[in-house]
Amino acid sequence: MTALLEVTDLRVSIPLEDGVLNPVRGISFKVDKGETLCIVGESGCGKSLTSLSLMRLLPTRARTSAGALRFAGKDLLALSEREMNALRGDRMAMIFQEPMTSLNPAYTIGNQLAEVYLRHRGGTARAAHERAIHLLERVGVTGAAERLRQYPHQLSGGLRQRVMIAMALMCEPRLIIADEPTTALDVTVQAQILRLLKELQREMGMAMILITHDLGVVARVADRVAVMYAGQIVESGTARQVFAEPSHPYTRGLLQCIPIPGQVQPGQRLGAIPGVVPSLTGELAGCAFANRCELAQAECRGGAIPDRVKAPLHQYRCRFEAPRRAPQASASRDSALAAH
Amino acid sequence: MHSLQIPMAPEASMAEAQSRWWLLLRRAAVVLRQWPWRRMSRNGGFMFGLVVLLSIAAIAALAPWIAPHDPLVQDIANRRVPPIWYQWFSEDSNASWAHVLGTDKLGRDYLSRLMHGARISLSIGFSAALISGIIGTVLGVCAGYFGGRVDALVSFIVTTRLALPVVLVALAIVALHGSSLPVLILVLGLLLWDRFAVVMRSVTRQVASLEYVTAARAIGCSTLRIILTEILPNVMNAFIVIVTIEMANAILFEAALSFLGLGVQPPSPSWGLMLAEAKEDIFFSPWMITIPGTALFVLVLAINLFGDGIRDLTAPKGRS
Amino acid sequence: MWMYSFKRVLMGVCVMFAISMLSFGLTNAATDPAQAIAGSGATAADIEAIRLAYGFDKPVVTRYVTWLRGALNGDLGESYRQKRSVVSVIMERLPVTMILGGLALCFALMLSIPLGIFAALHPNTWVDRISMALALVGQAMPTFWFALLGIVVFSVGLGWLPASGVSDWRGYVLPAMALGYYATPTLMRLTRSGMLEVLEADYIRTARAKGLSRSTVVVKHALRNAVLPVVSVAAVQFGYMLGGSVVIETIFALPGVGYLAWESISLADLPVVQAILLVVAVIYVLLTLASDILNAWLDPRVRFA
Repeated sequence: MTALLEVTDLRVSIPLEDGVLNPVRGISFKVDKGETLCIVGESGCGKSLTSLSLMRLLPTRARTSAGALRFAGKDLLALSEREMNALRGDRMAMIFQEPMTSLNPAYTIGNQLAEVYLRHRGGTARAAHERAIHLLERVGVTGAAERLRQYPHQLSGGLRQRVMIAMALMCEPRLIIADEPTTALDVTVQAQILRLLKELQREMGMAMILITHDLGVVARVADRVAVMYAGQIVESGTARQVFAEPSHPYTRGLLQCIPIPGQVQPGQRLGAIPGVVPSLTGELAGCAFANRCELAQAECRGGAIPDRVKAPLHQYRCRFEAPRRAPQASASRDSALAAH
Repeated sequence: MHSLQIPMAPEASMAEAQSRWWLLLRRAAVVLRQWPWRRMSRNGGFMFGLVVLLSIAAIAALAPWIAPHDPLVQDIANRRVPPIWYQWFSEDSNASWAHVLGTDKLGRDYLSRLMHGARISLSIGFSAALISGIIGTVLGVCAGYFGGRVDALVSFIVTTRLALPVVLVALAIVALHGSSLPVLILVLGLLLWDRFAVVMRSVTRQVASLEYVTAARAIGCSTLRIILTEILPNVMNAFIVIVTIEMANAILFEAALSFLGLGVQPPSPSWGLMLAEAKEDIFFSPWMITIPGTALFVLVLAINLFGDGIRDLTAPKGRS
Repeated sequence: MWMYSFKRVLMGVCVMFAISMLSFGLTNAATDPAQAIAGSGATAADIEAIRLAYGFDKPVVTRYVTWLRGALNGDLGESYRQKRSVVSVIMERLPVTMILGGLALCFALMLSIPLGIFAALHPNTWVDRISMALALVGQAMPTFWFALLGIVVFSVGLGWLPASGVSDWRGYVLPAMALGYYATPTLMRLTRSGMLEVLEADYIRTARAKGLSRSTVVVKHALRNAVLPVVSVAAVQFGYMLGGSVVIETIFALPGVGYLAWESISLADLPVVQAILLVVAVIYVLLTLASDILNAWLDPRVRFA
């Protein structure tokens, strides 16, 4: 069964004044129809750029290359801009991080919602508006007909994000890419939006790629997880696998950073990963995590690092075998995450 | 409570004066070393503007000595002589090297008039820009520093000035009071200060909100002292940029007034006046309008490039 | 939004009053108007007679108030030279200047907006640099020289356009171009920088992610937001053109308000001069008010605050 989205060895490079920046350095993943892949990593690891490059929305001076970048069987890199435009908004849609600035302040909500539908499906303005109302109600916006006539500045952040979601769904896309959709929202609203996304996905049978830095979000929605660090995927697998048996030192470090309520003592040091992310300019030899990894040896700093397979679908990129984890520690961590 | 002033012995004051000079020299050296010489030379437009401007200024300054003829002497026998390049276009023209740029309808040497005209343009332009700069800066700094009602009043004055059709007002004033050089300079200076006021106000507001100004106020510096020592040095960059803009404007304005006959009076060789005289012969001697016009164009272009260059050089780094 | 408009209107009214005082003071406080009317060969008795007839013996303030009261009723006095009401003299000439200004503005906008958009879409390419160079050249060239060059090329040289007068539409072409191109660099730079800024905005990224065509993104989404400052500056430039048309009108002998002003100044026809100053300033104030309101109306954030 071919996956809906197949990415092999995706690379993005941006020539700058003082060298070439390589924010995405060879990542590969697959997304099947109806499943949710979470790409998780800290700021600057290249996850947003990855999502933009999937839609080919990067600025022109950025260069995208891949072994394969296939969506529904089509090679995205071979498409002309016109053909790509036909896909965007129609078969693949994107939701961005900042709802406050992602809508055009000069046009009504209705206008911006209908625009996508009219562009890809044609038809009458009335039909587009009906669909907009239907979707607005589905995403939980009350008084939808009224809202259509309003301008973005008249809506709150949470409402605007719902509008963005509705906008992404106007043409029933097969794939939704959500780039940190809840980061700019209140905690209470975050949970609602995530639940909404999950429901819609199930209802419409869409695949979803969700980019986030918040492991709690991952625990909530992910079927599969890909952990990114410095432009590479260091570990990937099902959510259960990665949380139960984190194998890459970075993943383990991330999980250790989450304080578990009830287990953290006052005065105890919170977990942290020492060191800083290496510069992404120029070439990076060996493992990018080497300067922060407690297991690092000389051979980690040179040569290609192999992918190790821990289980079907679960692999990680390290020179060393991951040590076995104590079962009770992981169980309490799972419950803590579930409570998020 | 005794004062902190330490009385100086008279013999120490001589040494103190010497060391003050020394300090001044060292300060100048520091400023010169920090000057962005490298960046300046790399900015092509700026260098071009600077070189051209300095050349024109030099020509203007030395005009009485280096002009080939007296600009006011008429030579009716040799009037309407075309410039030297006409020698290569038509056979029967009487262009000669004696009058490189030809002569006007009264036989006066065009090149000499051009050179002397540069003096007029530059002197009027610079003086008017300076006067308008002082007026506008005073208004702008007061508006920006004191805010509140002073700001509202200055804003009202600026709006009124902007509503006035300046060309018409200048024409009216000159017509009523005569068009001597001081009147011209004063009129231009009194009409071109608006940009100074607006920009100085916003720059002052930025600077006044900085911490060291608050600190100066906290230790009891008088308002005037604060304005002179803290605010003014920081608005200097903006001032220089705007002086160049307004100087260019003043030069064009004076040329327009002279062109209309209400600026510099004949026989003075103002470039605007030369254009007006050339206009009458536009059908027979079309070259006559190109020369003073090109001169004006080149001068204004040089000033604009110079001003742009200064603005780019003094802009805070990290803005690209 | 209404509060904002009200305050602006109030300010406008105050400015108009100030202008009326300035224009009256300018023309009346300086030299002796009776002398100016009488001319150089008049005797002292003649001058005295004129002074009484025109009411110059009254103090300046009284004369100002009389004039102002008349102005508010639509009467701006009588021209010394033409023995007609100033209002009729001006109204006769105003249409030509308005048409000239309007055409000049259209020319400027038609040139600067597309150039600005183009430059913003291809920043730092040769297109951009050429536009910036054109802007630089445009700003340095004196308007009257541009007009004269235009005459040399198009009238004397090619014979396509008349060198003076407005017998038909062709008489407006050169003057409009000469008047309009001076505003072009400012408007072009404004459009370019506005577009550059707007194109970085998040909602443009959203529009592209929706698969909208390039032209839709640029025109419908970007331009709509970038054009706001251009609108207000364009209105102000129109005001400048009305006041600054003197030179162009005299070069091309167009029967407009600017030419009238110059004639009146030369002939010391003071009522006309002070009336023109007032009228042009009032039009300018109204224009800036209108452009402020238009600006506010175009931005939904202000319109539906």
